[in-house]
Amino acid sequence: MAVNMAVSRIKREFKEVLKSDEIAQCSIKLELANDNFTELRGEIAGPPDTPYEKGTFLLEIHVPETYPFNPPKVKFITKIWHPNISSVTGAICLDILKDNWAAAMTLRTVLLSLQALLAAAEPDDPQDAVVASQFKDNYEMFCKTAKHWTNVYAKGPHKFPDFDAKVQRLRDMGVNDFDARAALSRHNWDINLATNDIF
Amino acid sequence: MESDDMDYSDDDDLDDAMDYYGNEDDIDNVDPKKTDPEFFMYECLTVDEVEKVLNESVEKLSNSLKITPSLAKVLLNEHRWNSNDIIDRYRDNASNLLVSSRIKSGNGKKVAHVTLLCPVCIQSHTFDKFQNLSCGHSFCKNCWSMHFEIQVSQGISTQIRCMAAGCDVLVPEDLVLSLISRPQVRDKYNQFSFQDYVKSHPELRFCPGTNCQVIIRSQDLSSKKASCKTCQTSFCFQCGNDYHAPTNCVTIKKWLTKCADDSETANYISANTKDCPKCNICIEKNGGCNHMQCMNCKHDFCWMCLHDWKSHGSEYYECSRYKENPNIANESAHAQNLIHLQAREALKKYLHYYERWENHSKSLQLEQQTLERLKNRINEKVMKGLNSTWIDWQYLFTAATLLAKCRYTLQYTYPFAYYASMDPTSSRKDLFEYQQAQLEAEIENLSWKIERAETTDRGEIENQMDICEKRRLTLLKDFFPTTTSDMNS
Ligand SMILES: [Zn+2]
Ligand SMILES: [Zn+2]
Ligand SMILES: [Zn+2]
Ligand SMILES: [Zn+2]
Ligand SMILES: [Zn+2]
Ligand SMILES: [Zn+2]
Repeated sequence: MAVNMAVSRIKREFKEVLKSDEIAQCSIKLELANDNFTELRGEIAGPPDTPYEKGTFLLEIHVPETYPFNPPKVKFITKIWHPNISSVTGAICLDILKDNWAAAMTLRTVLLSLQALLAAAEPDDPQDAVVASQFKDNYEMFCKTAKHWTNVYAKGPHKFPDFDAKVQRLRDMGVNDFDARAALSRHNWDINLATNDIF
Repeated sequence: MESDDMDYSDDDDLDDAMDYYGNEDDIDNVDPKKTDPEFFMYECLTVDEVEKVLNESVEKLSNSLKITPSLAKVLLNEHRWNSNDIIDRYRDNASNLLVSSRIKSGNGKKVAHVTLLCPVCIQSHTFDKFQNLSCGHSFCKNCWSMHFEIQVSQGISTQIRCMAAGCDVLVPEDLVLSLISRPQVRDKYNQFSFQDYVKSHPELRFCPGTNCQVIIRSQDLSSKKASCKTCQTSFCFQCGNDYHAPTNCVTIKKWLTKCADDSETANYISANTKDCPKCNICIEKNGGCNHMQCMNCKHDFCWMCLHDWKSHGSEYYECSRYKENPNIANESAHAQNLIHLQAREALKKYLHYYERWENHSKSLQLEQQTLERLKNRINEKVMKGLNSTWIDWQYLFTAATLLAKCRYTLQYTYPFAYYASMDPTSSRKDLFEYQQAQLEAEIENLSWKIERAETTDRGEIENQMDICEKRRLTLLKDFFPTTTSDMNS
C-alpha cells in the first residue's frame, strides 16, 4: 500500500513540478534516475548575490517506501563549500529533511528549501564544522573559497588563479585534486598548513 | 528484641534512650518521616491501576474545562499532569494555553479549505472523504490513517503532528483511534501513549526490572529508595539509577561516568591478592571482611592500607580518609614536573576513593558467598540434630542482611567523599569523614563476627548489628541528599 502511495505521489508531483515556472527559469529541475520512481536526480541553480551564483548543483534524491509520510533522503552530488553541507560527503543538515518534515511537502518544497539554504546559511547548526567556523571567523575567505568551489565543481564564472596554482603545487607532490583543494580550503589557503595536514 | 524478623529501620532502642533522657518529643517518635531518613511512602501499581489513576485526572479536567477527554489528555501530557496549573492557565488565557499546548494553531485564523484536492496524495476526493484538524488543515482520511500507522510503527503516539508544512498542532487520541483500523496498530498506539503519559507524570516511574510491568507511584519526589514488590528491583525514585544515598543524583551520575571512563587505569588496582606485610606470603582475599589474618604468620592487618589491624581499633579513621600529600608543592621546583605531579596526585586521589568503592562492592558479593557457606554448615549441624534447629540460627541471616544494607550505604559514601574532598568550601567534610570512618569500623567488626559466627556469642553479634545500623542512620540523617545538595552538587 505504502509503496504504491510513494510511486503515485511521485508521479503526481512530476506533473506539478514540471509545469511550474521555476523550470522555465532553469531555477530547479527534477528527473528520474531509475524506472521504479525511488531514485531521482535534482538540480538547483545557485541563488543570485551569493557565492553560488550561476553555479549548477546536482542532488541525489532517494524516495523511501513511506514517502511522503517520511522525508526523502537528499544529498549534494556536486561538491560545495557551505556550513550546512558536508564538503566531503554532500550530506545536508536541514530541519525539513528531519524532524520538521511534513507529509504535505513535496520534492519541489525540498529543492526550493535547499536553494534558500544556499542563500541563507545557518552556521550555528553546522554540518561541516570547519566551513562553519571559517564562515563565522573569516567571512571574506569563506566567500572566495565558496566561489572557487562553485567555479571548479558547479560551472560558476569566478576563477581564482592563485587558488588554482596552489592546488597545482600540491598535485605536483602527488596529492589528488579534491584532497588538495579541500586541505587548502580548510586552512584558509595557507599552503604550509595544508601540506602539514596532508602529509 | 527477641523477634526473629527484627525491623532495623525502626529505631526502637535509640528512641527508648531518648525517652529516658527526655529530650525527644513524642510526636517525633511516631513520625517515621523524622526518625528514619530513608522513610519513603510509595505504592506499586499495575498497568490497570495506573490507567485508572490517569483516567480520573482526565475526567476531572475534561469536566471542569468542558473539553473532550482526548484534549484533556493532550493538555495533561504536555503539562506534566498538573491539573491545577492547567486550570489556572486556562482561566487566565485559554487561547494561549491551547496554542502553547499545540492543540490550536498559533497562526490565528483557521485555514479555510476550499479545494477538494488532498495535498498529501495530490488527488481529488469527495467532501466526505476529508477530515480536518483544529488548525483547519484538512486531508483525506486515507492519508491521515497512513500517516498515523507509519508514526505508530516508528514508536510515535502522543506526538503525532498535523501533516501540513510548518504546523505543529498535535493530533488528539480520538481522531487517531477513529482512523486506525488495524487492531494491532491501535494496541501499539495505546501502549506507546501510556508510556508517554507515565513518563510525563512526575509521580510515576516504570520499575526498571527486566520485563517487569509494575509502576511505582509516590508523592515524595526525592532520591529515596523504591523497591518493587514484584521483582524486588530497588532504585532511586528520582533518577532511576541504583539507590545511592548519601550521594545525590547528579553526583552519582558524574561518578559512574568517571568510573566507566577511567576503568582501565582503575583495573590494575582491583586485583584480589596482596602480600602479607609481615612475612610477604601472598594472600588471597576470600571473605568480605577487611580485617585480614595471614594464614602463615597469623599477623592481623588491614586489607585496605596494609597496616597492623591493632592500630585500627580506634583509628580506622586513618584508613577511610584520604590524606593529601602536604609536600607536593616542595617536591619539585620545575613547573612541568609540578603539573605531572599534580596529575599523578589527582589520579592517586581518585584511585583511593575508587579502590574503596570497588572494595566494598566486592565485599558485598563475598559476604553473600560466606553466607551460603554458613547456611550449608548450619544445615549439616541441624541435620545431625546437634541440639539446634533452624530457628536458632535465623538471627544470623538477619545479621547478614543488615550487614549487606550497611555495606551498601558505606559503598555509596565514597563518591560523596570524593567530590566533597575536591570542594574546599565544604564545611561538613570533616564530620562526614568522621561518620564514614565510624561506620566502616563497625561494619568490618560485624563482618568479622559473622564470619566466625559459630564461635561468636549471639548476643555479641546482635549488639554489633544494633551499633552498625545506628551509625548508618546517623550518617544518613545528617547527609541524606536533598534535591539541591549543599555539599557535593
Ligand atoms: Zn490524501
Ligand atoms: Zn495543521
Ligand atoms: Zn519490578
Ligand atoms: Zn538518584
Ligand atoms: Zn604473614
Ligand atoms: Zn587500613
